[in-house]
Amino acid sequence: MALSGLVVFAAGVTVDKPTGFLGALATAAEDFIKVFNKGGTVLLSLMGGILPTLIVLLTAVNALVRLIGPEKIENLGKAAARPGIQWYPVRYMILPFVSVFMLTNPMAYTMGRFLPERLKPAFYDSAVSFVHPILGIFPHANPGELFVYVGIATGIQQMGYGLGDLAVRYLLVGLVVIFIRGIVTEAITAKMMSRAEKAA
Amino acid sequence: MDALTNLIVKVGRSVGGVVGTLYQAGRDTVDTVIRNVIPFMAFISFIIGLILTTGIGDWIAKGLKGSASSLGGLLLISIVCAIPILSPLLGPGAVIAQIVGTLLGVEIGKGNIPAQYSLPALFAINPQVGCDFIPVGLALGEAEPETVEIGVPAVLFSRVITGPLSVVIAYFASFGLYSAAK
Repeated sequence: MALSGLVVFAAGVTVDKPTGFLGALATAAEDFIKVFNKGGTVLLSLMGGILPTLIVLLTAVNALVRLIGPEKIENLGKAAARPGIQWYPVRYMILPFVSVFMLTNPMAYTMGRFLPERLKPAFYDSAVSFVHPILGIFPHANPGELFVYVGIATGIQQMGYGLGDLAVRYLLVGLVVIFIRGIVTEAITAKMMSRAEKAA
Repeated sequence: MDALTNLIVKVGRSVGGVVGTLYQAGRDTVDTVIRNVIPFMAFISFIIGLILTTGIGDWIAKGLKGSASSLGGLLLISIVCAIPILSPLLGPGAVIAQIVGTLLGVEIGKGNIPAQYSLPALFAINPQVGCDFIPVGLALGEAEPETVEIGVPAVLFSRVITGPLSVVIAYFASFGLYSAAK
C-alpha cells in the first residue's frame, strides 16, 4: 500500500514538527518522498502536456510516410551521388532531411548505399547530425531522443515564450550545420583515403 | 452491373487500405511511445525532481550559469564533447545530451540562463551526436570495411572542427530570439 504511505506523510504537516531521533528520521523520510512527489508532478505535466499531441502527430506522420512509401526517395539518393558542386546541397542538405524525415533514425543511414564509398562517411555524419534539429517540428523522426530538444524547450515554455521561433531556428541552423559537416568530413575522408592508398 | 461491382470493390479496397495504414501507424506510434518515450520521461522526471527539491540544483546552477550563458563557455562545452576519445563515449542513446539538455532547461526556466542561449546550447551539448554509431551507420549504408576504417576517424576529426563551429553559427543565428523579453 504505497499510496497510504503518501497520505501519512502528507498528513504529518498539521501536527507539531517531530523532534529527537525519530523526528530526524521523520524529516528525512518526508524529504525523501518529496523528491518523488515532485518527480511525479513533473511526469504528469510531461505526459499531460506533450504526450497527447506527440501521439497524434506521430500517428499522422507515420501514416503519411506509409502512404507515400519510403522507396520513393531512392531516386533522390541516386541524384545525390552525382559529381559536381551543384549536387553538394542535395547530398548534404536535402537528402539527409528527406531520409531522416521519411526513414527516421536509424534507417535514414541506409540511404548512404546509393553514394560512392568516399562519400559515405560524410553522408552519415550529415544525416546523423540532423536527427536532433528536426525534433522541434517533426518529433516522429527520433522520438527516443526527444529530450535533447524538449529538455531545453521545457525551460523556454516555463518562461512563457512560444516554442515556434526556437524550433524553426533549430531546424534551419541544423541544415546549415549538416551542410558544413558534410563538406568538412568529405574533405577529411578524401585526404585520409589518399594517404592510405600511398601507404599501401 | 459488373462495372458497378468492380467500382465498389475498388473503393472498398482502397478505403480499407488507408484505414489499415492509419491504424497501423497508430499502433506503431503507441509502441514507440511506450517503449522509448515514456521510460525516458520517467527517468527525466526523477532527475528533475531530484534537482528541484535537493541542493543539487543550486550546485549545478552555479556550475552551468557561468559556462552556459556566454559564448566562450558554450564553446568550451562543445570542444570537450567533440574530443575524439570522449565523443564516442558520450554518444550512446544521446543520454548525456538529453540529461544536460534537461538540466539547462530547468535553469532556463528559473531564469538563471538567458532564453536566447537556448539555441547555441542545443548545439553545444551535441557535437558528439552519433559518434558511437559510426560503424553501424556506415554498415547500414552498405559501406566496405575499408571505408569504415577511414570513416570513423574522419567523422571524429570533423567534429572537432564542426562542433565548435556549429555553436558559433547558432550563436549568431540566435540574435533576436526571445530578446524582446517582457
